[in-house]
Amino acid sequence: MTVVANSIKAVIAEFDTPADLMHAAERVRDGGFLKFDCHSPFPIHGMDKAMGLKRSPVGYIVGAAALCGFIGISGFIYWVSAVDYPMVISGKPFFSFQAFVPVAFAVTVLTSAITATFSMLAINKLPQLFHPLFESKNFRRFSDDGFFVSIDAKDPKFDAVRTGEFLKSIGGKNIEVIEVKE
Amino acid sequence: MSAKVEHHPETLIQGNPKFSSVTQHISQIVEDKTKMGWILLFGLSASILMMLLGAVGYLLFEGIGIWGNNQPVSWAFDIVNFVFWVGIGHAGTLISAILFLFRQKWRTSINRFAEAMTIFAVICALLFPSIHVGRAWLLYWVMPLPNQMAMWPNFRSPLLWDMFAVGTYFTCSLLFWYVGLIPDLATLRDRATTKIRKIAYGIFALGWHGGNTQWKHYELAYLILAGISTPLVLSVHSIVSTDFATSVLPGWHTTIFPPYFVAGAIFSGFAMVMTLALIARKIYKLENYITLNHLEKMNKIMLVTGMMVGYSYGCEFFVAWYSSNPYEQFAFINRAFGPYWWAYWTMITCNVVVPQLFWSKKLRTNLAVMFVVSILINVGMWFERFVILLTLTRDFLPSSWGWYWPTIWDGMTMVGSFGLFFTLFLLFLRFLPMISMAEVKNVLPQADPHYHVADDHNADKSVKPHPKPGIEPGTAMGGAGL
Amino acid sequence: MSQIFPQWTNKLPAVLLAAVLVFGAGGVGFLWYYGSPKYTDVGYRPTQPVPFSHKLHAGDLGMDCRYCHSNIERSAIANVPATQTCMNCHTLVLPQSEKLIAVRESWATGKPIEWVNVHLLPQYAYFNHSLHLNAGIGCISCHGNIAEMEKVQQMQPLSMSWCLDCHRNPDPHLRPVDQVTNMNYAPPADQAAFAERVKEEKKLNPTQDCSGCHR
Repeated sequence: MTVVANSIKAVIAEFDTPADLMHAAERVRDGGFLKFDCHSPFPIHGMDKAMGLKRSPVGYIVGAAALCGFIGISGFIYWVSAVDYPMVISGKPFFSFQAFVPVAFAVTVLTSAITATFSMLAINKLPQLFHPLFESKNFRRFSDDGFFVSIDAKDPKFDAVRTGEFLKSIGGKNIEVIEVKE
Repeated sequence: MSAKVEHHPETLIQGNPKFSSVTQHISQIVEDKTKMGWILLFGLSASILMMLLGAVGYLLFEGIGIWGNNQPVSWAFDIVNFVFWVGIGHAGTLISAILFLFRQKWRTSINRFAEAMTIFAVICALLFPSIHVGRAWLLYWVMPLPNQMAMWPNFRSPLLWDMFAVGTYFTCSLLFWYVGLIPDLATLRDRATTKIRKIAYGIFALGWHGGNTQWKHYELAYLILAGISTPLVLSVHSIVSTDFATSVLPGWHTTIFPPYFVAGAIFSGFAMVMTLALIARKIYKLENYITLNHLEKMNKIMLVTGMMVGYSYGCEFFVAWYSSNPYEQFAFINRAFGPYWWAYWTMITCNVVVPQLFWSKKLRTNLAVMFVVSILINVGMWFERFVILLTLTRDFLPSSWGWYWPTIWDGMTMVGSFGLFFTLFLLFLRFLPMISMAEVKNVLPQADPHYHVADDHNADKSVKPHPKPGIEPGTAMGGAGL
Repeated sequence: MSQIFPQWTNKLPAVLLAAVLVFGAGGVGFLWYYGSPKYTDVGYRPTQPVPFSHKLHAGDLGMDCRYCHSNIERSAIANVPATQTCMNCHTLVLPQSEKLIAVRESWATGKPIEWVNVHLLPQYAYFNHSLHLNAGIGCISCHGNIAEMEKVQQMQPLSMSWCLDCHRNPDPHLRPVDQVTNMNYAPPADQAAFAERVKEEKKLNPTQDCSGCHR
């Protein structure tokens, strides 16, 4: 398509243990890199701090969605029961809110659960079946017992050669430059 | 490397596996050739499932008249089985959500298939009210959809609450389960050797790359899902109990029903988890993951909830006596000494007497004993719902008293629902990792970034200092809990 | 190269989402319009065994509805006329018409003509025809302008929400009882006041309870 056959997307380096990965993350962070990631088979406690990441916004999103869900369903039940089709049932008032609690609660929970799942996926840009890092065969061990640091080529400080050397200097092994055919 | 860890009594995973051996061991179950035992069990469950399909097909063709339901017992096996299956599901949510919030790390070995059990049990449960409505193809009428009748569902009806509660419960459990599966699906994707596996697991893994930028949102979302599933453990069966409790029948119209139902649900659910865990553990050699420690803890929970259920049985009698209401009193005397006395005493024996065996440490750590007890508890809990139902046979007016006996179609539908459950469960065992690899790796001692404690100068201050190297901070606190 | 999926698959989620939204909205819209009784039932115009023209009889000849449908003010069920009613005139008017063969045959054999029911209500809905006429609801409100129909067709959806529309607000449909069959009735300028008066006089209270119709 273009003149460039391959374009460099990232550099990755492997580390042995969660502790090594965490220390590497701190070094990369202190090295001034902004677009990097630490891949591990399980979440590592304290890694957010080591990478200098802010707290995830998922909580606020879910909170807002839960509020909307609750107000929405409560308003809907009120409208149905007291406005659109008021029916006298067991002599209760039209807006007998005590009886509406279970449904309002269930729908609030449902909204929150769906929002939590899908906002998490959306923020993580999932589903994304093709990812440059999957070019590396070795990288596939991230889901088994491999611990990797990847530095994105979009990082302002990125330079394929020097970044690789930097990762080596902080103890990284199997340094790989990730290229994707354009 | 691990000498200290092995000495610690609260080690969650035995055999001191490496990360890769966890992956290997659990993925193998999915990747190996199908075991003969699995094929036999699957054939059996699938045949029973066929029976269910036949029974349901005939029901749809012929109508509810083929069941034993009639006045005065206007709902019968359908509601009994519905409540039974919903109850089974509760242990899965308790394990996955409540124990997660309480940082009970021992849950990691059992949460995946307990959650799967929840989902399949809720599917079985939803089957019964769906076919009991008679015209199952009009089931969507329970949903508040605009229609040419200008009608809305009655939001004051406990049956509608049920629909919302159980529907929400199913959706939340499914999302929770799936979110938990994503990293493990990525593991299977990355290990896959055939094209079909790569694509199938690849699609469902959604392109997970395990970066901490993903884990960050993932962990919070998982925590939130656990948090919002927690009240569901209590609310769903409370709402189910209002199907009975809001009616003005002696023996049903009582405020003890919600807590009594919830305790019973967790009780039967744990019994079902136990049955399944013991079988899976044996067939797939998971003794290091589902250790005796796990099983013992579950037995303790069963003992506690069994006592709560027993207390409720006693309390019902006390309230009947204390109320001075002759109808209420008769309802309970009739349960214990009326024509269905055998159902009542089966329930008492299985639910109250048998679990007392677990006071003995020797018995609650004996696999054979716990297997038999777990099955008896499920029998007892089924009978509990049956006994509650039979209240309908004798109410205020002796002239309207009746008798209930199931027909062959009732029996086929009930047995068939077990076929549905086990078919789904076996498919799950075969095609999905039955133990959460990511979570199990996370509770291994070497997963702690401070495992090499010599230089943890950057550690999070809140988790320092550790009493001993190699112990997960959560383990010391959580493991001793139950 | 250990990629499983080609790069274009990254566009799939967005495409699928868009497709779900479009087809979801389309599906809802489709059912909303084509699933409604306004579409499925309105316009139902079966061919009758006898090519009877309401336009000719009720319109051009100006016959009153009640000449044939004689019970409608007294019976819960509106009646279809007996063959004898036709023959009252047709022994003298057009006695040899080919169109009337079926009528004469029925008259000779005593077997009723099998008219096709146009306005079908479900069995679980109780409907009292006389009650509605005596309340002062005109034929036209439910049946449309029959006097202009060559072949009778259903003009209103007869859905439950359509029933309810009038039960909630019958005012625009009320008229003096002697005007119910009048297809050209013009409501008075003070229809609202008139309706109030009628409702007061007759103590009209159209039911909205379930058991009003589903007994």
